[in-house]
Amino acid sequence: MISTSPEVQEEKLILASSIKGGKNKLHGKEKKGDLLPALLFLSPTLIIFTTFILFPVFFSFYLSFHEWNMFSGETTFIGIDNYVRMFNNEEFWEVFKNTAIYTFGTIPLNMCFSLLVAYILHKKIMGKKLLRTAFFAPVVISPVAAAVIWRWMYDPNFGLINYSIGIFGIDPINWLNDPVAAMAALIIMGVWKTFGINMVLFSAGLQAIPEHYYEAAQIDGANQWTKFWNITVPLLAPTTFFIMVMSIISSFQVFDIVYVLTSGGPLGATKVLVFYVYEHAFKFFNMGYASAAGYVLFAILFAITLLQVKYMKNKVYTFG
Amino acid sequence: MLNTKKIIMKKNIFFNLAIIFLFVSINCGGDNKKNKSDNVEIVFWHSFISSTVPALNELIQKFEKENPGYKINAQYIPSGDPLIQKLITSIQSKTAPDISWLHSDFIEDLVEADAIYKMDQFIKGKDGISEEDLNDIYPSLLQYSSWKETLYSLPMEATNLALLYNKNMFKKAGLDPNHPPQTWEELKSYAKKLTIDKNNDGTFDQVGFFVPVFPAAGPLGSWMVWQFTPFLWQAGGSLIDKEQTKVLYNSDAGVQALTLWQEMYNDQKLSTFTNLFENAFVSGSLAMAMDGPWNLPRYKELLKNIDWAFAPLPSGPAKNATVVGGEYLAIFKQSKNPDVAWKFIKWMIQPEVQAFWSMKSGYLPIRHAVSEVPEFKEYLKNHSDFRVFVDQLEFGRAEKMDYEALEITRNFAEAIERATVGKVDVKRALDESAEKSNKLLKNARE
Repeated sequence: MISTSPEVQEEKLILASSIKGGKNKLHGKEKKGDLLPALLFLSPTLIIFTTFILFPVFFSFYLSFHEWNMFSGETTFIGIDNYVRMFNNEEFWEVFKNTAIYTFGTIPLNMCFSLLVAYILHKKIMGKKLLRTAFFAPVVISPVAAAVIWRWMYDPNFGLINYSIGIFGIDPINWLNDPVAAMAALIIMGVWKTFGINMVLFSAGLQAIPEHYYEAAQIDGANQWTKFWNITVPLLAPTTFFIMVMSIISSFQVFDIVYVLTSGGPLGATKVLVFYVYEHAFKFFNMGYASAAGYVLFAILFAITLLQVKYMKNKVYTFG
Repeated sequence: MLNTKKIIMKKNIFFNLAIIFLFVSINCGGDNKKNKSDNVEIVFWHSFISSTVPALNELIQKFEKENPGYKINAQYIPSGDPLIQKLITSIQSKTAPDISWLHSDFIEDLVEADAIYKMDQFIKGKDGISEEDLNDIYPSLLQYSSWKETLYSLPMEATNLALLYNKNMFKKAGLDPNHPPQTWEELKSYAKKLTIDKNNDGTFDQVGFFVPVFPAAGPLGSWMVWQFTPFLWQAGGSLIDKEQTKVLYNSDAGVQALTLWQEMYNDQKLSTFTNLFENAFVSGSLAMAMDGPWNLPRYKELLKNIDWAFAPLPSGPAKNATVVGGEYLAIFKQSKNPDVAWKFIKWMIQPEVQAFWSMKSGYLPIRHAVSEVPEFKEYLKNHSDFRVFVDQLEFGRAEKMDYEALEITRNFAEAIERATVGKVDVKRALDESAEKSNKLLKNARE
């Protein structure tokens, strides 16, 4: 919707010209001299960004084609050997499978739950702010500290969870020592840890939906469910899309809670991709191989995100 | 107008730069601070658990008192993975310590990086030690101090494993509390008698013997293998052949030992039991477990409501054996004062110092001669549990893997986990793991 009122157009013109000739108008008459101070002021960020992000990104790509002895600093070029070895390694596919299970186990649960909570908290209920803070708290807690606590809660003998379900007569579950249960334990904790941030995003999305849509629907005789399904869900689509893309990325990168909660066990059932990278990089010191695995992770995420953008973006924005 | 602005701006830039430099120089200043008293300072990295640190401080004070002019700067580094990670970065950035406390597995990588000295240089040097002194150190510890039969470090302390048990539970189960299990058969039958389901709900409220199984890829994976090896040796097996060309843990002895673990693990339903064995022992739901001497100082307080004791590990079908471990001191080539670093190590391995350190810290002495130190003799008389560990040192065994030790240990751990938690056939689990390890060995030796 383009506004055509003359005042607005004039404002836009002024804005445009100030952007074009911005240097002259906003910062006196300096031209070349501006670059140096700008760089200087940006330098702390630039230096940190280059050393800790940009350089490692390219260096690990370089390393993925090499064998690197970290102790002596020697590198030997070995072409795509690391990649070939990885794709021929059964364990890698096992790890890939575990990551996929974790991702597709966490995301639906996470999204349903965070939407539900956000929707309830959007209504006018008592203690809304307190509840929102409580639900958001896990996001802020250090993942390692949280995982230590969860490991205690999952403990078969001393754990709170088995004790609680025991009250209802449910047999104790062997949370961390059974391959299936351990993955479930990890997913439950993963959802608990991350749904708060999605809840906040959904809340923001809900607040952006104009109230008059609901009023109009009410007049037409829509009930709660139809309103939710036909107004809230479609209008939240951009938020949902964003959350989905980000959740897939973060689930594929899960590491800290795995390391502390299950250490990849039992029987490697919860060994995920980043854990695999860690094991090879910092336990066996096969830096080249680990870098290659890191780049495979990157490629997977890149492909998934591209697919999502391609097939879902249109759908998302035709609503609203 | 224009010029003044420019000047002001420039001034500002210089002002900012000046501030930045100020900060940088303050920070650098901290590192280059000269030691005013002209003491020669030795940086010593270690990973002792917090309960050992007071003993370490006393040890260092003793050294500094007996050797005026030298100062030991002890710095704590978290054990295991972080220690080796920090060593790598420090070597690359030329900030390595003078001495570091190491796990045996790390020596291979450090030697390949040419980061640590051969010990011969000092032992046979001017300020050296005699062949006799060197041979007084337990041979298994010297084996772990070496790589490919060359000595690169010397042990600082020793540890091994013994059997911790609850005497009251023995009495209640009708067993003689002064007769802990002597053989595998006894261990198995005792464990069975001590495993009790009090309320008949299908889960055991008390477990006889804790079989230490942990996730193979996790931080406790190598700890599990370390506790399994005595069983392998007791059955007459070995980890690896003498020439280090192939692993032998999938031999008949390996199968026998792992079968014992598998049976005990499953008979006692340990997969539904906590893996925090200390908590289980304290809370009275566990009767026996393997444990090391480093916990003795803690247990006096922690287990004061329990009638507990330590016993030697039961002997296997072939012989007595316990695993011997320890930590090793190496001197880094980046050290500015390697001779002073050596002075500390040489001082450290003296029988009197070892006796002092052992009594204070609860670790075991590294050499036979310590038993002749009068204070230590006296100490052993009053500390029968500690004595169990010291006596066991005679059966202590070691097998050093020179190539890919870390990854082979992980593979071995996988086999143990698969046979116990995964209930996979023992022979199959071991064979598949050995195949992976042998491939690694072959590549590493090429």
